Amino acid sequence: MKIPYFPGCTLYNKARGLDNSTRASLAALGVELAELPRWTCCGTVFPLARDNYMGMVAAARILAGVAGEGEDRLLTVCSFCYNVLKRVNYEMQHNLEARQKLNNYLEENYTGEIQVVHPLEICKEHVGFDAIRARAGRNLKGLKVACYYGCMLVRPALEMGFDDPENPTIMEELVAALGAEVVEYPHKTTCCGSYQVLHENDLVMQRVQDILNSAVAKGAEAIITSCPLCQFNLDWLQEKILEQDTGFRQIPVLYFTQLLGVALELPRESLGLEQHYVDPRPLLLGAMPHLR
Amino acid sequence: MAMELSNKMSRGIIERIKEISGQDPHLCMQCGTCSAGCTGREVMELLPRQVMRLIQLGDARVLHCRSIWVCSTCLLCTARCPRGIDLARLMEALRVINLRSGREVLVAEKIPVELLTRVPQMALTSGMRKLSA
Ligand code: SF4
Ligand code: SF4
Repeated sequence: MKIPYFPGCTLYNKARGLDNSTRASLAALGVELAELPRWTCCGTVFPLARDNYMGMVAAARILAGVAGEGEDRLLTVCSFCYNVLKRVNYEMQHNLEARQKLNNYLEENYTGEIQVVHPLEICKEHVGFDAIRARAGRNLKGLKVACYYGCMLVRPALEMGFDDPENPTIMEELVAALGAEVVEYPHKTTCCGSYQVLHENDLVMQRVQDILNSAVAKGAEAIITSCPLCQFNLDWLQEKILEQDTGFRQIPVLYFTQLLGVALELPRESLGLEQHYVDPRPLLLGAMPHLR
Repeated sequence: MAMELSNKMSRGIIERIKEISGQDPHLCMQCGTCSAGCTGREVMELLPRQVMRLIQLGDARVLHCRSIWVCSTCLLCTARCPRGIDLARLMEALRVINLRSGREVLVAEKIPVELLTRVPQMALTSGMRKLSA
């Protein structure tokens, strides 16, 4: 199975580990990602002002381009890319004014026919968790993992149509299929503070501390996410939290695709595990003898 | 009424808020569900429910409150409002009215270099889109 793939700007820079591990783990499951020949930044955030069509142009152009190639799906993994592409697509389907204005501007005739998909959906619906369970090694047995969705993957529910907006379980189902142990905690869809890290750093630190402490208190040994910004906030800010609170217990924050890659026993070069502030390798050493 | 004296917004601005957001702030029944879950609540001087009330009252101070810049557009309020109000769109309307007249809070030069070199690209793009003119 071959699917057009939109990596997005962050995956070409700060989140290479997410890009590499997504491509490698899906390839191991028989899903080949064909990167779009030309792509631009998606705009990262969906414009919430009703008159801001400018903020939708980039995503609309990307979607129309994929449709122009005769494709019917587009896969992306970054939560922000996924959110904005899916929401703009929804506008192209349901908001006739948006459709007309954007099509006039882009000189396209796109009506929202592309299906924007996430690797978690591909794992569940196309590969199947049973197939993944059969394919995964037994190396994650006993590892306690907390899943963190954040805000962009699940909200707003109508447009995203991803999973239950208050209690999504698709990542937990994956973790269970990989043979690891799911840790339930109350913060999986609360926001980490997002881009406010640039402006309200203290607020984000507080949010991050709440999320991490809650997961750790429930016994988590690692947290997984699909969002480069969640990963950054939850991982790098631990350095600052430690400066203020020496009793703070660090916890590695991985991309779900990295955990998937470890379970599939992929070569270390494809996982990008060395790019994290809290090094996940000591925890995974048992699981990945070749890391030693 | 005191509100009417100095802070009353012109009808024009309320209409603009409604138009830009596509929401009817008068549907709000002040239950506080939005405030209870809000990501930014700890540093907001006016909680989302209070922001809603000021809009209902036509109080112009709402355009200048810190809350609208603290909002991380996480949509939790939107997801939970029992009256079906998309609050995040109202927060955005209040921001863009400011941004379109040149008032902004995030100035690229003021972001600490250490942070600038470390944050993922999408944080910069989204932050600049939401908080700078
Ligand atoms: S949740 Fe909705 S109805 Fe309740 S206070 Fe907030 S905006 Fe008003
Ligand atoms: S969208 Fe903004 S106002 Fe609403 S809960 Fe999130 S941070 Fe609070």
